Amino acid sequence: MERIILDVDSAGDDILAVLFAAASPTLKLEGVTTVCGAAGPIEQVTNVVLNTLSLADRDHIPVAAGAWRPLVGNAKADMEAPVHFEKRLVARFGERLKGFNPKAPKPKRPPHPRHAVDFMIETALAAPGEITVVATGPVTNLAMALLQEPRFGQAVKRFLLLGGTFATPGNMTPVAEYNFWADPEAARVVLTAGVETVLVPLDVCEDNRAATGMMSRDDLFDMAARATDNPVADMICEVFPIYIDIWREFFALVAFPMDDVIAVALAFEPDLCTMTEPRFVDVVLDGRLARGQTVAFHGRQILPGGDAASTRICTAIDGRRFMRLFQETIARYERAPAAGREGS
Amino acid sequence: MSVAPEPILLDCDPGHDDAIALVMARRSPAVDLVGVTTTCGNAPIEATTSNCLRVLEFIGASEVPVARGCHRPLARPLVLGTADGPSGLEGSPYLPQATMALQPLHAVDFLAQQLAAAPQPIRLVATGPLCNLGLLVLKHPQVLPKIRELVWMGGVFYRKSEIITPTEFNAFCDPEALRLVLASGIPVTMVGLDVTMQVLVEAPQYAELAKIDTALGRLVVDWLKFYEQLHRNSMGIGGALHDPLALAVIIDPSLIRTRTAHIDVDLTGTLTFGATVADFWNERGLAPNARIATEVDADRFFALLYALLRD
Repeated sequence: MERIILDVDSAGDDILAVLFAAASPTLKLEGVTTVCGAAGPIEQVTNVVLNTLSLADRDHIPVAAGAWRPLVGNAKADMEAPVHFEKRLVARFGERLKGFNPKAPKPKRPPHPRHAVDFMIETALAAPGEITVVATGPVTNLAMALLQEPRFGQAVKRFLLLGGTFATPGNMTPVAEYNFWADPEAARVVLTAGVETVLVPLDVCEDNRAATGMMSRDDLFDMAARATDNPVADMICEVFPIYIDIWREFFALVAFPMDDVIAVALAFEPDLCTMTEPRFVDVVLDGRLARGQTVAFHGRQILPGGDAASTRICTAIDGRRFMRLFQETIARYERAPAAGREGS
Repeated sequence: MSVAPEPILLDCDPGHDDAIALVMARRSPAVDLVGVTTTCGNAPIEATTSNCLRVLEFIGASEVPVARGCHRPLARPLVLGTADGPSGLEGSPYLPQATMALQPLHAVDFLAQQLAAAPQPIRLVATGPLCNLGLLVLKHPQVLPKIRELVWMGGVFYRKSEIITPTEFNAFCDPEALRLVLASGIPVTMVGLDVTMQVLVEAPQYAELAKIDTALGRLVVDWLKFYEQLHRNSMGIGGALHDPLALAVIIDPSLIRTRTAHIDVDLTGTLTFGATVADFWNERGLAPNARIATEVDADRFFALLYALLRD
């Protein structure tokens, strides 16, 4: 069993990551922590997670609310662009857009009383070397934990981060991926902490070369076909067609990229992705044009540079195997007693 | 006539001038020092925290709660100050190690706890890099309305002479934290180099301090003799009492004159990151977030200092 804390900003694929992590038989989801990011204010992010876990009948899993803003961030209008970018799609999708990141209804339970940063620190220090933190939003909470508690970096087993991009164009700017763009200072704190890290960049998820790992309408049909009484599969089949369509229309991807779910899956199936040897990875902080860009030190440059080589970068993915794993895991939410069905 | 002392919290990185500010805060009848938090800056966090405890214990203030804070700035490697020597409090090796206990909370959580518990909004004094307060803004935004005012030793605006550097150390050390604080809505009074470089300890001040023939008086002079070396050797002036002036402004706001403006800090300048920039013409169209100290009555400041050091 891999013990993980999942740190999310509740965009569409974060919801799938929560559902995937909560049902996986090889993961123990210690808790979900939240951070403001692509889905808007921290209250919305936290409520989405609470409601998602209620749907999954996992109301025992703690949800701790975290940072309400990044360390430095960017211009306000730019920061809010991912929450509002669907406005540019109104002509194409009209009323259907109301299903994209809707305001979360009031959850049936409150969040954990501790701040996300304290939840991370206390969980990690109580089980040194045991806890993997999977971060699928801006890494503000992780940076705060490292800043507040120097022992946190030694106590965690490793970080799995959805962030950055190398060969694939960025989704926020031509060179920057959203999470690291949204809080690049936090990303630098995390990447330079010397903690064993696996980085899942856009290259293995938001690139049509990794299309087999994306969720298409065919995948929704497959999930619907194997479900008899599975409220989670029902929700995914109902909510995610608009996500598939937006990502096809706006980003020219063949289906919906599963960035955050891939990051979670790597916690227990590390060979889903091909990875580099450990490298030092840094983030561009200054300037507007390249702010948030990831830079990997592979060596062979004339000028010396770089710090501790602690980060493996995913460069390719076995997308079919990943999608099979995702579908099998979601099938575990099946409530109908059926002989021969896999899962518990 | 007696007025109830005003409760204050002090965030500091002792540091000789921080240490003098601590002494003043404790000894002033106008102030009730309800808690102290420490940060890295003039020395590593272990040293500034140890120094804080040593000073408090020496002046019989071991009941004042102290919480250790940040070991590094938010987004940059730590660059240590140089005026105070490796330990942060050179010149007084005879000052015993402290035996008083630290609070079990990190400074950021201690500050949040104290602010939440305060019946009325209270004033904070910060005399080091703003790492702890930046983290407070990120982690506990709900307590920020309980800060009535932050008097901060930091920044520089006019730079009227070559003895004033283009960037001030506390701003330079953690500019990202400063930006968080300036954007947070906390009312800030900036006691920067424009005024602190006008409260210098020269021969007349040493002569007055020499009259305070107590263990505390001698300790302060020993601190100042070490502390002035950087100033004396590089600029030919005596030690500037940056942090004591910030603390004195809490006790007597009339010591300074201020100008109100929206202030921001440069994060990316090649040579000027950490520079504080005031928008006096309101070109950015943003509401003022700070009062900048522009003038100081140095004689009255020193009179207050001597009075607080005397028994």
